[in-house]
Amino acid sequence: MTTKRISPELFEKLVGLAALELTAEESTYLFEEMNHQLASVEALSQIPLPEDVEPSLHGLEPKGLPPRPDEWKPFAHPEAIIALAPETEDGMIVVPDVKGAK
Amino acid sequence: MSLTQLSAFEVAHKVRTGEVKAAEFAQAALEQIRAVDGVSGSLNPGELDPIEESKVHAFIQVTQDKAIEQAEKVDQKIANGDEPGLLAGVPLSVKDIFCVEGTRTTAASKIIANFVPPYTATAVQRLVDAGAIVLGKVNLDEFTFGSSNESSAFQPSTSNPWNTEYVPGGSSGGSAASVAAQEVALSLGTDTGGSIRQPAAFCGVVGLKPSYGRVSRLGLIAFASSLDCPGPLSRNVRDSALMLQVMAGNDPKDSTSSTLPVDDYLGALEQDVKGLRIGLSPDYEAVYYPDLESGELHSEPIQKGVREAVLRAAETLAKAGAEIVENVPMPNTRYGIPAYFVISRVEAASNLHRFDGVKYGYRTPEAVEDLNELYRRSRAEGFGLEPKLRILMGMYVSAAEHASSYYQKALKVRSMIRSDFEHAFDPQGAYRLDALLTSTTATTAFKRKAVYGNSVLMQYSDQMTVASNHAGVPALTMPGGLDENGLPIGIQLIGNDFREEMILRIGNAYEQLTADDAWRKVRPQVLQGEVRA
Amino acid sequence: MKDYEVIIGLETHIQLNTETKIFCSCKADSWEAEPNTNICPVCSGLPGVLPVLNAEAVHKGAILAAAMHAQINTKSYFDRKNYFYPDLPKGYQISQFDQPIGRGGYLDLPLENGETRRVRIHNLHLEEDAGKTKTERGVRLLDFNRCGVPLVEMVTEPDLRSGDEAAQYLIRLRQLLRWIGVSEADMERGHLRCDANVSIRERGTTVLNTKTEIKNVNSIDSVRQAIGEEAKRQIELVESGGKVESYTLDWDADRGKLTKMRSKETEADYRYFREPDLLPVVLSTEEIDAVIARLPELPLARRARFEQEYQLSAYDAEILTSERSLSDYYEAAVAAYAGEAKTAANWMMNDLSRLLNDLGKTADQLVLKPENLAEIISMVDKGKINAATGKSLLKKVEETGKSPSEIVDDEGLGLIADSDALRKQIEGILAGASAEVASFRAGKESLLGWFVGQVMRSSGGKADPKRTREILLELLNKE
Repeated sequence: MTTKRISPELFEKLVGLAALELTAEESTYLFEEMNHQLASVEALSQIPLPEDVEPSLHGLEPKGLPPRPDEWKPFAHPEAIIALAPETEDGMIVVPDVKGAK
Repeated sequence: MSLTQLSAFEVAHKVRTGEVKAAEFAQAALEQIRAVDGVSGSLNPGELDPIEESKVHAFIQVTQDKAIEQAEKVDQKIANGDEPGLLAGVPLSVKDIFCVEGTRTTAASKIIANFVPPYTATAVQRLVDAGAIVLGKVNLDEFTFGSSNESSAFQPSTSNPWNTEYVPGGSSGGSAASVAAQEVALSLGTDTGGSIRQPAAFCGVVGLKPSYGRVSRLGLIAFASSLDCPGPLSRNVRDSALMLQVMAGNDPKDSTSSTLPVDDYLGALEQDVKGLRIGLSPDYEAVYYPDLESGELHSEPIQKGVREAVLRAAETLAKAGAEIVENVPMPNTRYGIPAYFVISRVEAASNLHRFDGVKYGYRTPEAVEDLNELYRRSRAEGFGLEPKLRILMGMYVSAAEHASSYYQKALKVRSMIRSDFEHAFDPQGAYRLDALLTSTTATTAFKRKAVYGNSVLMQYSDQMTVASNHAGVPALTMPGGLDENGLPIGIQLIGNDFREEMILRIGNAYEQLTADDAWRKVRPQVLQGEVRA
Repeated sequence: MKDYEVIIGLETHIQLNTETKIFCSCKADSWEAEPNTNICPVCSGLPGVLPVLNAEAVHKGAILAAAMHAQINTKSYFDRKNYFYPDLPKGYQISQFDQPIGRGGYLDLPLENGETRRVRIHNLHLEEDAGKTKTERGVRLLDFNRCGVPLVEMVTEPDLRSGDEAAQYLIRLRQLLRWIGVSEADMERGHLRCDANVSIRERGTTVLNTKTEIKNVNSIDSVRQAIGEEAKRQIELVESGGKVESYTLDWDADRGKLTKMRSKETEADYRYFREPDLLPVVLSTEEIDAVIARLPELPLARRARFEQEYQLSAYDAEILTSERSLSDYYEAAVAAYAGEAKTAANWMMNDLSRLLNDLGKTADQLVLKPENLAEIISMVDKGKINAATGKSLLKKVEETGKSPSEIVDDEGLGLIADSDALRKQIEGILAGASAEVASFRAGKESLLGWFVGQVMRSSGGKADPKRTREILLELLNKE
């Protein structure tokens, strides 16, 4: 049995999509571990699944409340949320601009 | 008997009757923490004194002032003749993955090491409202991602109070250790693939993963939203029942929280096990793991002493009148980990998107070119290796071109795992079980660094626990003996949907039946008053 | 040059006018609010929080789906659309992907040439809005007030053929949204936003060529202009041997120019998956049937009925069905009024419309009820008051809340139809104008108008003009 391996190119693409950047050491380790995990995950492809089996999002389907009534309940301290931000100005969070976007 | 040895049930009783003040329990807990915990986990631990190696290090943060304040409030209530709550004066630790208003909440990660939430998790709020005293926040694997506590960004990570060279398990390692080391009577943990039960088993305490939706997830920093369950850790079954009693019940702020009425868990403990059908499954007697290169599945029987503890428990329960049903097939158990590798990673990658250096937590101090670099740098510097690995894996298996072969497939396997339980518990079926009895883990605790770094092997330590997370059913772990090294063995009772009362009842009966067993007299190393050489 | 046709599909985002946001209890509308004052841990994406669905957002989504003749799904799901952007605090948008609340449907557009263009709808899904960002001095400032506002995203099939048609679609959609009460549909406030997909092909062919997407065409004029510009650009490009590439374009309404935002080749993979924090949205067939049953008669159907039932011109029927409250008002007034529907229409379109404009009200907000209007028109018809008095009564009823007849009585506005009293008054006037009487009798009959004017002046306009004329002629021709 041969297992699927993630190519280094795909790995790099995933790192970009994940908004990460890795040191060479991290890269080597994570690349290997991902491929090892993939070997485990490949077991899924061996499982004979009956035709009619439905995917289950929660094993035990939650039976919660129906959607809530449309009633305004303001949060008491919105300013406390903005106070958590590393940089703010006039009640707004400040971030650098995005290059090459709108 | 010292105050710290008392069960939550006893503490609440003494406080309620005025025999001992809540403040005295809070002080006793603080003293115990000072005696056994050592330095709290931190991002920059520096050089550690060798004596720290014999300490528990369960806490990231001891909230002493708040604890004393809460205790005084409870005492004031009692003085006023007001109802102090079911947990009056009970010392509690909270896994540092739950938001507590005004208390730093770190998820054991650098990326939110300075985060002070402006709101409190429902489970914590209910415990505090019932009179529990929060002693502080305890350590865990970063974002709960692990089974040994070692991946915490807050070092030193927690040790196993039975032998500090061993891991406490994880991710609720700090929770289990703080209860085992008698720093607190109760701890609030979370269980996504076994994160309450595995460390509880490793540390010789009781832990309960409730049914999915029984306890609100609001305020729990999410790992895998479809699997996460908050739950209690305690030193006996009754205390877990008591704690669940307080926490369970619908929360309008968690859409997946169940509206089913909450059972009388404490009342259920009064009943014995006569006539109950308790199953044993061969599918829980071996572990299946893949060859890292070929992916081929190998199997290996679980640790001998662990298996014997399960059989011993079955015998004990049989003698008390339970009917043991052997050879219950749970054929999809072995696919629990592969499916978990997919489902939990997809959800985790998405749940971790919000940690981006923009709104709260860590932002790179470096000058950046633009916003995208800010994201990359902040996340690269803020996340440890394990979150990075989980994000990348989640990205891969949910990518549009792979989602059907991985994610959709895993969700179907999840259905299959669920159907194993449905068959076993079906009241009209062949097995008609009231509970399934298994080991909680394949082995007892492992040594520090023995597994850490091998992400696959680490994940496979959840093999006995993860199936109940997939299925959403409740599962209880409790001590079932000690292995040849004197390390605790955990045995597990898995119940049908929302039948926590049944597994608690069986667990409590087992505890009573084995109360005089010799192994129950053995105390963890850190409580033996000796420092390891 | 070849004969080209332009193929357009529109993607609209409609802000539902619920009280609160879709997944938390903050206010949905915070147009006037200071930045980041209408936020909570849920909509600002703090760790550990969970979304809780607003029932009204589902209900209004279902009403819209019904009004679009779409199939309303008994079970729909929310999914996560994952991407990094600073206006998206969770790093994913909760949206609907493969099982949305509504599927299919259409909106009919009456075209100028009398034909009807049926614009098919691909699907409708519920989702949360993102926040706002603005760029100042090279940095981005983030405001999360709008995060979590309920939206319906509605995507058409490529059934539109010109910028004008696209503009018509938005006009009709805006009318419908207000008509069924699910959105204020104020484009300036972003309640109705639009992206346009544009491609060209040779007329007579059925291929779908590479399209470009124009973002932010958020006014009727912008849609018309931007599509016109883009169609022109594509035709010129193809005519000169070029090839249309799959771009995303931004419409700058101020400069009337399109700029390229990014190439679509690099489109992100959003890694959609079911939102595990929410339950499926379940609507029973009874609930769906009730939504459909309670749906009001829609504008175009009502317009056609007005033309037929009330014999109105197409123009009148269009005006009177431009807004639901106006058309409801009209129907109630017609029902209360015994005369011709056309007469009532004239009053509505002239005098009542002016009153509405002056007051900045919609018809349903008036104190002046349709029955009052009917009574006023009837009084004019019967000669109880003159037309000018009738018109002035509209405002008086609106201001006082009294009935028209009450005001006429109180203020003595009724016409003097009592012949004896009028005759006496006229005799008095003639006695004081012997020179004019003589002139008239000498043959200067044009003076009749002058006499009528004198009577009117002395009666304060209340003399019945017809009766006045009769009496004047009688008295002047006596000798």
